[in-house]
Amino acid sequence: MEDDNHGNNRLNGPNGGSPENPCLNNNTPASSCNSNINIHHNHNHNNNHNHHHHSNKEQDRFLPIANVGRIMKKMIPGNGKISKDAKETVQECVSEFISFVTGEASDKCQREKRKTINGEDIIWAITTLGFEDYVHPLKVYLQKYRELEDEKLNVPKQQRLEQRLQQQKQQQHVVQQEQEQQSIPNSYSVYSSTSLMSQPTSFITHHHDPAFSLHFSPGSIQKQLQPQDQIDSVAHW
Amino acid sequence: MRQAGKYSGFMMCGGISGRTGPHSLPLARIKKIMKKSGEDVKMISGEAPIVFSKACELFIEELTRRSWATTLQGKRRILHKDDVASAVMATDIFDFLVSMVSETASPSEDGTLPEEEETAGSS
Repeated sequence: MEDDNHGNNRLNGPNGGSPENPCLNNNTPASSCNSNINIHHNHNHNNNHNHHHHSNKEQDRFLPIANVGRIMKKMIPGNGKISKDAKETVQECVSEFISFVTGEASDKCQREKRKTINGEDIIWAITTLGFEDYVHPLKVYLQKYRELEDEKLNVPKQQRLEQRLQQQKQQQHVVQQEQEQQSIPNSYSVYSSTSLMSQPTSFITHHHDPAFSLHFSPGSIQKQLQPQDQIDSVAHW
Repeated sequence: MRQAGKYSGFMMCGGISGRTGPHSLPLARIKKIMKKSGEDVKMISGEAPIVFSKACELFIEELTRRSWATTLQGKRRILHKDDVASAVMATDIFDFLVSMVSETASPSEDGTLPEEEETAGSS
């Protein structure tokens, strides 16, 4: 056992331990260091790392404090403020809420010998635990979500793409028209500018393929598409 | 955005950000928290985190509304942790949170411990 060796002998996480890391502390029990997150678990408070560790752990167990804070802010008047400890407390409460409801839903699934917890189970659990007021807005929300997913399933992707491209083309068409009119040489003025441009426009549009730039960033679309794939299958994430 | 397509009403209501998509709370994180709730939680349908994202929003709204009522009672404009504790104590369906809000030793980054001088609630 090499006591004065900081790096090598105790970190078995995928990160190993960088010997240069000043945060390593021999007194920290090895059992707490099996995840690479805990490398920064130092007692020295000499840098920002303990802050880093704190928020890393929270990232797993809680919903992001920014999102929580935003929702809270909606409920208070403009001149009101929310302290950080209040946000953190609500953060913890939400996670507790999720666990609480999930536990009930999970029990129900077990009783009924089902393996997958679905949206209805969650709604049932929420009702059972006393949050009946939530049920109506939840059902409305779920209904809208299902309609959108349904549309994705029933309207083939290519067709949806083309619908969006159509809409974009109409916008670009106007812009292109104005641009091209200035650059068309006289010999081409025999043809109507519209017919000249309709083909190039669609040609450009197809290759340009900005289809997903309409409302959300591509990342969010990806997230949208994922549930669609899951819904049909027995669906575990 | 120029086009108010059919997505705009429903999707926008939760707030759009690149990372969370159309739902205001991150679905992957919700799923993680669900899985941590018990050993038996293995398979979760795609809809469950979606339902939770709305349910959590409603939950946060209700908790905040009740907490703020306590803040106003104290003629203050800053919502503090003890206001949240009061709301929990005063609401039956928040009983599952009682043990959580009554812990005084919550590590916060500035190292200060909240003082609990008044216990709001029935005894």
